[in-house]
Amino acid sequence: MEYLATGQEMSLMEKLEILTDAAKYDVACTSSGVERQGNGRDMGNCIKAGICHSFSSDGRCISLLKILFTNECIYDCKYCLNRRTNDVPRASFTPEEVCTLTMEFYRRNYIEGLFLSSGILKSPTYTMELIYQTIFLLRNKYRFNGYVHVKAIPGADAEIIRQMGFLVDRMSVNLELPTAEGLRNLAPNKHRKNILTPMRQIQNGIHENKNELVVYRNAPRFVQGGQSTQVIIGATPENDFQIINVAESLYRKFELKRVFYSAFVNVNEDKDLPALPGGPPLLREHRLYQADWLLRFYGFKAAELLDEKRPYFNVLLDPKEDWAVRHLEYFPVEINRAPYETLLRIPGVGVKSAKRIVAARRSTCLTFPDLKKIGVVLKRALYFVTCGGRMMYPTKLDEDYIVRNLTSDKDRVKFGSDGMTYKQLSLFDDSKFYLQPLPGDRLQVVSGQM
Amino acid sequence: MIVYQCEDSLESIFTAIYNAYEEKRDHDDTIISLNQEWLLFAQYVPVIPMEEKVLKVIRTLKRRFGEEDYMTICYALASPSEDKAQAVYGTVVEGLRGKYAKGHLFDNLVNDDIHKVFSLSRGAGNESHHLLGFVRFQELENGVLFSRIGPKNNVLTFMMPHFADRFSGENFMIYDEGRGIFGIHPAGKAWYLLQGADILKEAVDENPGGWELSAKEKEYQELFCHFCHTIAIKERYNTKLQRNMVPLRFQEYMIEFVNY
Repeated sequence: MEYLATGQEMSLMEKLEILTDAAKYDVACTSSGVERQGNGRDMGNCIKAGICHSFSSDGRCISLLKILFTNECIYDCKYCLNRRTNDVPRASFTPEEVCTLTMEFYRRNYIEGLFLSSGILKSPTYTMELIYQTIFLLRNKYRFNGYVHVKAIPGADAEIIRQMGFLVDRMSVNLELPTAEGLRNLAPNKHRKNILTPMRQIQNGIHENKNELVVYRNAPRFVQGGQSTQVIIGATPENDFQIINVAESLYRKFELKRVFYSAFVNVNEDKDLPALPGGPPLLREHRLYQADWLLRFYGFKAAELLDEKRPYFNVLLDPKEDWAVRHLEYFPVEINRAPYETLLRIPGVGVKSAKRIVAARRSTCLTFPDLKKIGVVLKRALYFVTCGGRMMYPTKLDEDYIVRNLTSDKDRVKFGSDGMTYKQLSLFDDSKFYLQPLPGDRLQVVSGQM
Repeated sequence: MIVYQCEDSLESIFTAIYNAYEEKRDHDDTIISLNQEWLLFAQYVPVIPMEEKVLKVIRTLKRRFGEEDYMTICYALASPSEDKAQAVYGTVVEGLRGKYAKGHLFDNLVNDDIHKVFSLSRGAGNESHHLLGFVRFQELENGVLFSRIGPKNNVLTFMMPHFADRFSGENFMIYDEGRGIFGIHPAGKAWYLLQGADILKEAVDENPGGWELSAKEKEYQELFCHFCHTIAIKERYNTKLQRNMVPLRFQEYMIEFVNY
């Protein structure tokens, strides 16, 4: 195996700096989903809930040693720091270096495992083989039993992906751009087919493995932690509705564990990339994550949250509050009687609170002080619930009134470390964009009174 | 009104509960207390922890409430709160009245004692889980991995099994500074706790004069600090969020924050 001469003269510290810097835009960070006890011989175990070992200065969790194997790349994707035509210092690890770093960090409890991605050296299959060599060494010679997350390189040979699956806990392929058109514009070397094929292969592999495990309990596990993917937000002009639809169909068709949304950070001054003078679209990313949670845990569908006429999320209200305010016909909900699925739809009631409410109301009739003990956010929920037929304070079920109270200044979402809040500008001084004209107003317009 | 006076330990509180049932006290009129306040018109009974009584109580709790709820009670007893003994006593009394199925004792959060135990347990459980990630080991000259922690709750007992499973082939030691307890794991053997070892404590406090770090240790510490600093995206800097996620009281024991 040949590595470039310059790679061997660099110190480990320099290599680590270059290859960590190159990997940081891949936001996949979880070490969860796999429960594997230590086996007395190897080092390491995995915890189902995952463990966050540290948090970086941008607030993101550091749970895995997230590095690229090499930042050499033959592709020229416009959004990427490591594109072929960029003049950045290039470096490569040797497999032994990766393994030693992983083991020494792991035994000091700095990390939960390894996250290995790579730029594309020579060809996708060649790069995957290098990665396979590294992970094989890690598992078999260094005897590492912790969490390993590997990126599958789109376009690599199916057999190498299959073999890799037996060594790792999670394998993922990045979708990068939500639509095929976006991908064609910004990453001309990557094709949608090349990205979706390995996803399908991994999905099928996981299914087959589950069947094998039924027959033979000690069969080797294939990608036990499932698949995930990443979508870049803000590099291309797709709206939120398109993105959330893509996410929903990925969950349904490929059975992914997670879709990660990464706010676009402008590192290359390319003419095809947006300038983004306000910085990366962090609020938009936040709303997408909130919507993602609603899809996965709260039983919502993408069509309920957004549609063609309203393709962007509300800046002032989170998606759940926004849905509730637009569908006041479902409220108020009686806490002591409503089914679990309805409880989940109340703003201020999360999955844990809903479960606790269902458990607690078997023994007593719940009142508002009880709801507070259970952990319901009454500040938001009080407009939508009744306890024993009574609301907490007399409230009109009126959209304007509720929205005004939910978005009062002290409750507004503070985004960014300078405390600045995002507010869309409007010619009207009440900036309520989502209000549909009332039926009475429509009549008045037609009859000429307005 | 009877007041049982215990010291702050699980054994003492369980013995008090055993005594309260054995002496057939009126549970509504009995208090188990940790502090030394003197109430007027109350009869004070000191409690001496006894092993068989503690074991009997543990067996009963496990049998009546199930493993999970028993662990919740243990977590609650690890908290530093002064009301924990009375809250646990109230919960046990309520649970033994018989209306709860196994595993469902903490469904009824409307009851004040049950809610208190639930919240103390949640606090201790959260701190224990955070520490699983925030513990940082240093390799000493003799190859032993050593770590210092300073938790609010007494969670060393809950953390040791995780590390013993993960690092079964390593010699490691975790020192709870606030309580003077050492969690010790010899390679390939069972772990145990050591309390009141003044010689060890002095050696630790005199560190680095007491114990030297190994040669490679500094190098890996630097590599890791550099890794943590490089991985942050400058356009998303948010130290307030970072401090929310890693409270300052943990940061003083974590190498990447100490060298910031």
